[in-house]
Amino acid sequence: MSLILVRDLKKSYKIGSMEVPALNGVSFIIEEGEFVAIMGPSGSGKSTLMNLLGCLDRPTSGTYVLDSEDASKMNDSARAAIRNRKIGFVFQSFNLLPRMSALKNTLLPMMYANRRKDTAMAKDALNRVGLGKRINHTPMQLSGGEQQRVAIARALVNDPPLIFGDEPTGNLDTATGTEIMSIFQKLNDAGKTVIIVTHEPEIAQHAKRILRFRDGLLESDELVENRLTAVPKPRE
Amino acid sequence: MNILDAIQTGLSELLSHKLRSMLTMLGVIFGVAAVIAMVSIGEGAKQEALAQIRLMGIDVVHVRRAIVSGELLDKAQERSPYGLKYSDAGAIQAVCTFAKRVVPLREVYADVKVGEKPMPVKVVGTTAGYAAVSRSNVLRGRFLTDMDIAQNSPVCVLGAAAKRDLFGFDNPIGETVKIGGRLLKVVGVMEPKEIGSAKALSALRDLNSDIYIPITMSLVDFQIYSQQAMPTTLPALRALAAKMLSTQSRGKSPITEIIVQVDSDTATVPTASVIRSLLDRSHRGIRDYEIIIPAELLKQSQQTQRIFNIVMAAIASISLLVGGIGIMNIMLATVTQRTREIGVRRCIGATKWDIIRQFMLEALVITCLGGLIGVALGVGGARAISIYAHWNTVVSMQAIIVSFGVSGLVGVVFGLYPAVRAASVDPIEALRYS
Repeated sequence: MSLILVRDLKKSYKIGSMEVPALNGVSFIIEEGEFVAIMGPSGSGKSTLMNLLGCLDRPTSGTYVLDSEDASKMNDSARAAIRNRKIGFVFQSFNLLPRMSALKNTLLPMMYANRRKDTAMAKDALNRVGLGKRINHTPMQLSGGEQQRVAIARALVNDPPLIFGDEPTGNLDTATGTEIMSIFQKLNDAGKTVIIVTHEPEIAQHAKRILRFRDGLLESDELVENRLTAVPKPRE
Repeated sequence: MNILDAIQTGLSELLSHKLRSMLTMLGVIFGVAAVIAMVSIGEGAKQEALAQIRLMGIDVVHVRRAIVSGELLDKAQERSPYGLKYSDAGAIQAVCTFAKRVVPLREVYADVKVGEKPMPVKVVGTTAGYAAVSRSNVLRGRFLTDMDIAQNSPVCVLGAAAKRDLFGFDNPIGETVKIGGRLLKVVGVMEPKEIGSAKALSALRDLNSDIYIPITMSLVDFQIYSQQAMPTTLPALRALAAKMLSTQSRGKSPITEIIVQVDSDTATVPTASVIRSLLDRSHRGIRDYEIIIPAELLKQSQQTQRIFNIVMAAIASISLLVGGIGIMNIMLATVTQRTREIGVRRCIGATKWDIIRQFMLEALVITCLGGLIGVALGVGGARAISIYAHWNTVVSMQAIIVSFGVSGLVGVVFGLYPAVRAASVDPIEALRYS
């Protein structure tokens, strides 16, 4: 069974009395263990797709099955639960809670999963992104790259099958961006399915497959040749 | 999210804005503190009044000489002497056959001498029934008897404080004291009576420093009015004494008070009206006396307390309402300020209910903490008042629980709308919000 099954997905917004289409019916399948980059100019519908795939919004019509659950007809709290268990979000602007330490930020998804806070698991997630020594720093005390690592640790902590990156390198310099991409690749190698939205071809080149969108439609779906393997420079 | 995590989150949110949280709490703090301090003062006054009234007894009617002035005084003086007279006691006794006891009281001030040093005291001339009517017990010896009254025996009974002042720790029974020129044998000492510290009912005397003598003797040998000119020549004095000793003029002698004891407190009001109509007739309509019914005073004080409670509840509700509006205002501002945080929490799995609960708990933490501080301030304030103003205050557990509960309720009521607003934030919009 595929991890993601999208069939004829449509989404339109009401602006006044006008129905403005954003997504005009797209279909694709993403298997478990894939690394997919979603690309497209602004207005292509990629943000809308992102919100739908992330279960933040409901499609006007069509089907979206995530990990054998039909997410297209779920109510608000069911979608909150699926976001919590099945998806790890990584944002362009990190979106950490500013007054909490890295560790507490990482613990947050666990607290909404209605299970016991497991500090050991949170520390393990921070170790996996190479931030094991700075767990008590607040986001203000961390660099952009470090903040994004915390965000990735937070995305990992509930062990979801899917990691979502919305322009995850957009606020970072090239070297740091490459580091973050290497973490995504490492996670992908370890079996996680990774989807990132980006408009930088070089970043997309790190994925295994690129979906291009234009005017609310899937324009192309191709495998990446000459895939870039990010090897971060050793830190001192 | 479990409840402990949620409370912890709320607390750390408050701690990160200490000044703002404190200012937000202020309304609740003052409201609760005011309620507790005021209830304590009211409760203290009430208990004191009750104690005083109980001390007077609720099955009695006091008829008391009234101070009259102006036109009324002129009219009253047409009857000489004006005010309550010894004969009034007899008349009441004759009419109120149902009364258990009718006890006349004549208070005079005289110098008492033990050995050489004179000391001014209040001498109360009364009858044997006084001990029972005033609920006083004899500590040592005996009280006045009917025989003492009938025979005009030269005996006296000391109040506890009077005994202490005159004899210290010595046994006074059988000793002789000189009161206003007469030698009297001490036959008894009263138990000390708890009087309380209130001036609320100044109608009450401090019974402990009284000295009791047979009323017959006080009528003859002691004058109520110090300003009344005493004859200076010996023959004139003899004439006055002879006049006073005759039964007729003895009946005209002024007395200070008549205490009528009946079977139960419900009988006091009808008894009072009987006495009033009787005295109005014999005093020709001049109200140179007053009737005090402790049972009625008790009812009045309960009535006053009820009004006081209503006024206070109104004040408390207003201050808590204002405090609650302040909290709501801040919480709404907070929701706007934390839109992005709400978006992040929703995105990583918080349900609407999780968000509602988080904001409700923050409001609750503010009001409950404010309530706690308010309780502490209120209790402290009540204590300070009793120390500095010497008012009796009683901090009731009920007031603490109710006002704390209400402050919690304020948190729920005024936290609800901001919390619902927070939960209805669209996560997609919120993540884009900056």
